[in-house]
Amino acid sequence: MADRYLEVVEPVDNVATALRDVTAGETVTVAVGDEERTIEISEDVGFGHKIAIEDITDGETITKYGKSIGNATEAIPAGSFVHVHNVESNYGRGDLAEESDVEAISE
Amino acid sequence: MSEFLGYERDDGSIGIRNHTVIISTAPYANDTVERTADIVDDAIPITHPLGRCQTKPDVFQTYRTLLGYATHPNTYGAVVVAHAGEIVDGDELAEDIAATGRPSASINIHEEKGVMNALDSAVDAAQEMVQDASAQRRVPADMSKLTFGINCATSDTTSGLCQHKATAGAVWRLIDNHGGRGCFAETPEFFGGENELSERAVDDEVRQEILDRVEHWDNRLQATGYDVRGAQPTPDNMDGGLTTIEEKSLGALVKSGDGPIQDIIDYGEKIPDKSGMYIMDTPGHGAESVTGIGAGGAHFMVISTGQGHTLSNAVMPTIKITGNPHSAERVPEQTDVDVSEALVGDESIDWATDELWEELTDVINGKLTLSETMGESQFAIHRIGPST
Repeated sequence: MADRYLEVVEPVDNVATALRDVTAGETVTVAVGDEERTIEISEDVGFGHKIAIEDITDGETITKYGKSIGNATEAIPAGSFVHVHNVESNYGRGDLAEESDVEAISE
Repeated sequence: MSEFLGYERDDGSIGIRNHTVIISTAPYANDTVERTADIVDDAIPITHPLGRCQTKPDVFQTYRTLLGYATHPNTYGAVVVAHAGEIVDGDELAEDIAATGRPSASINIHEEKGVMNALDSAVDAAQEMVQDASAQRRVPADMSKLTFGINCATSDTTSGLCQHKATAGAVWRLIDNHGGRGCFAETPEFFGGENELSERAVDDEVRQEILDRVEHWDNRLQATGYDVRGAQPTPDNMDGGLTTIEEKSLGALVKSGDGPIQDIIDYGEKIPDKSGMYIMDTPGHGAESVTGIGAGGAHFMVISTGQGHTLSNAVMPTIKITGNPHSAERVPEQTDVDVSEALVGDESIDWATDELWEELTDVINGKLTLSETMGESQFAIHRIGPST
């Protein structure tokens, strides 16, 4: 039976939100839509944080609520902790903006 | 329940509180305002660092925000304190307040020949207003008169899964069942969800305006030359599991439900009378967005928090709800409604919505929120451009 404390919002999502502390070495079952998926947890993940529920490749879109919440900055195997160390945003990225746009303010 | 007990105003609005506010027009009147409010019990000081040496867009925004508080449905009367001649003009503000039928007074420190005389005059005026306000009685009023403000505070991953759903349920109950209004804000917290949000607009013009305003914020943030992460999401958001602004936004938008959006209005602009849901274009900075929605005339606000928060407003009562079982322990003295049983226990979102609705209808009729019992409040007008 699926673990009710591992919430996948939409079936297309590739991450689950932990509503309990999850420990490396656990085998968990998550509900993904009408289906269930079994995952080996490879890292400790605290309350409120996210777990990859499938293998995610470097650069791939991280999907939650059925929408992009950013892109992976490295390969993230299923069962790994997903957070700021391996995901980047696509908004408010002044660091990636054309230099001519930022010259006046960034100097 | 379709009626509540409120305070009638000459301009047709109905308040759920009966406040006297003491308003500063510039930083150099702030101390006099604070001292007046120290002396006169129940008077609310409104101070800020603006109102002088500002460019016109900021002058209009500062004036609009201060007038919004002075003529708020929950405001009985207002004492305006100016330092000298200012671009945010104290006499003009007092006249605009009086035009709504509210008692108002204009006090100028230079004209009074000093702070001691100004303080004496401000205390005199505030005393009379506070006493007269205390003699006014609540009368039955229709709930269609009410405007429901909503805001996030220290969001985490529980926000979009639980407490925001209860908040959405309550605000749409006021709109759909009672003919009231709702207002949410925080435009940079639409990033990643703007397309779906814009599709909820009542017409193409509003739909495009939502998209344009989101793009405008993204451009402004990019123009800084830095990655916005750290400012959005904030360190406490990230502690709570939120990884990017997109993830924060998609959760944040849950609190607005999925019904139609009537319009997107400017910071501090009066929320229209027509029943329905409105967006106010504000930053995600909670003190600034809450101050803006208060200026727009929301009677009360539900602050739907993830990690717990002190965010409050003195004129518009703030009801704080959380679904994170750890947060009610973090800021216990200000958590009005704990619905974590709907996230990790056996209760439903409908139960959480009913819990919130019951509390907010009590607050509408006069029950103090926890932040009101502590006198907790912040006031921060959003600034657009440079000081000059």
